[in-house]
Amino acid sequence: MTVTMCQGVFGAEFQSPVLLASGTCGYGQEYADLIPLNQIGGIVTKAVSLEPRPGNPPHRVAETPEGMINAIGLENPGLAGFVGEKLPWLREHLSQAHVFVNVVGRSIGDFVEVVAGLDEEQGFLGYEINVSCPNVKGGTMFGTDKVALAELVTAIRAETERPLVVKLTPNVPDVGDYARICQDAGADGLSAINTFPGMVVDIDQRVPLIGNQSGGVSGPAILPMGVYATWRARQACTLPIMGIGGIRNATDAIQYILAGACLVQVGTASFVDPYAAMNVHEGIQKYLTENGIAQLSDLVGSLQTEEAPTPPAPSG
Amino acid sequence: MEFHSPEIAAISQPGQFVMLGLGLDRPGTWLLPRPFSVGWTGEDGAIGILLRTYGEGTLALSRLRCGEEALLLGPLGRGFEIDDRSIECVAGGVGLAPFIFLAAREAAAGRRVRLLYGERDAGAVFDTDTLGDLTGHEPEIFTEDGGAGRLGRVTAGLDPESETLLLGCGPTPMLHALAAFALENGRDLQVSVEEHMGCGIGTCQGCVVQSADGRWVKACIEGPVFSVGELDWSLP
Repeated sequence: MTVTMCQGVFGAEFQSPVLLASGTCGYGQEYADLIPLNQIGGIVTKAVSLEPRPGNPPHRVAETPEGMINAIGLENPGLAGFVGEKLPWLREHLSQAHVFVNVVGRSIGDFVEVVAGLDEEQGFLGYEINVSCPNVKGGTMFGTDKVALAELVTAIRAETERPLVVKLTPNVPDVGDYARICQDAGADGLSAINTFPGMVVDIDQRVPLIGNQSGGVSGPAILPMGVYATWRARQACTLPIMGIGGIRNATDAIQYILAGACLVQVGTASFVDPYAAMNVHEGIQKYLTENGIAQLSDLVGSLQTEEAPTPPAPSG
Repeated sequence: MEFHSPEIAAISQPGQFVMLGLGLDRPGTWLLPRPFSVGWTGEDGAIGILLRTYGEGTLALSRLRCGEEALLLGPLGRGFEIDDRSIECVAGGVGLAPFIFLAAREAAAGRRVRLLYGERDAGAVFDTDTLGDLTGHEPEIFTEDGGAGRLGRVTAGLDPESETLLLGCGPTPMLHALAAFALENGRDLQVSVEEHMGCGIGTCQGCVVQSADGRWVKACIEGPVFSVGELDWSLP
């Protein structure tokens, strides 16, 4: 049987519900020799800020139990560098895969200027607004401040008609509240979720192992938290959700889809196996076929649950 | 440890590396791939690495058994750039790996290199007969406890008056000592650096080292081999 993957999400056809997550696929070009990018749903670029950023001192990455920690520090060539050096390649080479540009800034003005500077360019579908990077000073400011988040999304909305996706931080009491704020402020979609703030200690030197001292934790360790955040967001709003956090295989991805995600992003797993995104795609297709589901949208958010409970209180 | 990977073996150059991991299909073995210098290649498609167990990751890799599959990505990065000059290779610990490859290549071409190889103690020294077979050379061994070879650090074996091309690979303190020697004596030196690495192909930007002009450069694609003058040696 033929299954239909994703139609009409963000006004586009996605040949696959699987995208590569921001920060794990560069600006596409680095991965092009390894996997057929045009066979996946798309990529989300490494963050783009108004000015170039040099990034953090090493160590920037380390393995953690069932995951990894990173504090790259949003190293990127800046708006002009992205438009001049990175976007032309994306425009030329990614005909089938959709591109979201991950945008980051220190102020509302920063974000708005990046979006304004990109909006007339060709070669990408929409924006993923990064209000949730834990690795720069004030990186989660917008993501954890309801008023600032609403102002930011409203301001960016006024600049663009392209799909506007907000990447949420899990570092809040209830992701659902922030999902609803994004919807009310005019966002078109959500990515749930970004990394969790974390720390690794070098017990020989008695210092933080990571140059930035703390970093963002990703990988299978955060899978259940990402699925939960997706579910909370689904209950709180009607926006399309890109599920992200710890996805290694189709089983992981389908958890997100059942919880309410219509697209998924594969991140850290691509480091372990560059083909992870392709395998996730194939696995989802197999699941749909085996279960007689004609289109992926029938599966999205179809999780059977009792009446939504309030978030659990901390135990102990 | 040896793998069968004809495609990688055929095009690897000394100083290049592979990312070695276990993939995603084995339950309970989450592991980020680790970078390993190519240690040797065989005409039968073999590719060899030196694996020493430091932590959980290298332990998991060390448990690979003959016939099992692993995931190798490579060859990656920029290798050593050698010319007609005589070569002295300075290795610390598993930093010996790229020089096994290089010495063997040179031996096959009828050339000799000087191979200086340092370890903490005699127990850590790789079997010299095997090394002789692999490299076609007899390494000069240095140990810090004097238990094997000469007593002292490997850099003690260098002659300031010589005009050879120096190549180094080993722990960061050793590379610093080597860099200081090269800069002081106006010698050409290329070093293979080590830094925590996520992807090996330039996407994660995790493995940076500081360049002489103050930029963060990626060890995976701009290195791992750098000329001494390309890097900032003032940092620890």
